[in-house]
Amino acid sequence: MQPEKEFIHLLNQHQKIVYKVCNLYMDLHSDREDLFQEITLQAWKAYGNFRGDAKFSTWLYRVALNTAITFFRKDKKKPDIYSTDTMPEKVEENIDPVEEQVKAMYAAIGELSKIDKALVMLYLEDYSYQEIGEMMGITANNVAVKMNRIKLKLKEGAQKQLDTM
Amino acid sequence: MELDEFKNQIRNKLATDHVGRSDADIASLLNRRTVSVIDKLKRSLWFEIFTCILVILFFAGFGIFSKWNSLRIYFSVFALLAIAFLVIIIYLLRRINELGGTTLPVKSTLQTIVKIIEDFTRRYFEFTMALIPVCFVFAAILGYNDRQPIPELDHFFGPQHSLGLAKVLVIVFIYMLILGVIVYYFTKWYLKKLYYNYLTQLRACIDELQETILV
Repeated sequence: MQPEKEFIHLLNQHQKIVYKVCNLYMDLHSDREDLFQEITLQAWKAYGNFRGDAKFSTWLYRVALNTAITFFRKDKKKPDIYSTDTMPEKVEENIDPVEEQVKAMYAAIGELSKIDKALVMLYLEDYSYQEIGEMMGITANNVAVKMNRIKLKLKEGAQKQLDTM
Repeated sequence: MELDEFKNQIRNKLATDHVGRSDADIASLLNRRTVSVIDKLKRSLWFEIFTCILVILFFAGFGIFSKWNSLRIYFSVFALLAIAFLVIIIYLLRRINELGGTTLPVKSTLQTIVKIIEDFTRRYFEFTMALIPVCFVFAAILGYNDRQPIPELDHFFGPQHSLGLAKVLVIVFIYMLILGVIVYYFTKWYLKKLYYNYLTQLRACIDELQETILV
């Protein structure tokens, strides 16, 4: 199979990874589209050096996170947090409390820093602290310390979100 | 509420908030222009290469076709210096391209790129500032030794004006000073516009990662 077709096929199979990163890092739909395009391009440019010694999904996570972290929008006025279109809608009569809590947690994740978001992303994907450390370039111990801090931050952040709903 | 309690729901939410793309959609993205910081840096370097080639052609043209020996020597030497600078820029571009093809850990990628650009901007600035006195001294020696008159200059400093050596030296010194200051600030501004703003953004990311170590 030609490299381009092979890459497109693999990316299509793993495009959820790219969407997860885009959804985590970008609030607005147009920004997500831009980031998706950027990750696709960067992955394609780096694909020549992908030797298959790691899983494609792990490699794609690394490329996607590298790209998302170094991706800067021209318009600095846009907030780097989740806007109302991705925020939970106002209290409804029959809203599921679990769903409400998930939305609150989701919004709290949106307010984390770029590096913290990357750690949460990899944590949600069940990567070990060792693997997360290897991808980020820090030690497993540091990942553990950082994750504890993030969890506390999210607990408080999600509670605040719930209070404002 | 704990993150672990909602791990699966959040993971699903992140994965489902999108419309899937076909192979054709993905293929159409592959030839577009990237907007990443690194690619902006590469585009800046390409701009430098293009400018450098223009300078080499322009200076070499002067060096070959000028009717004054002093100008011929002056522009020929600086055309050679521009060629040396061009080699450095191409080397830097190759290093960034090599790096772009690898998938290092986030921190290593950022640190390597920052180091490359810091080295480049420092050398670029030093090179530019060192050229100012070299230019003046070189031009003065060549101009002084050139036996052919240059009417445009004689119009200002020729014997009919009888400014005297002291006044000419003061004028030249003030001119050097003003030009030196302008070049200093222009180079700073130019580098800031092309590179420093990107570097600041990359350094902020590294700081975020290193913050973990300090806990």
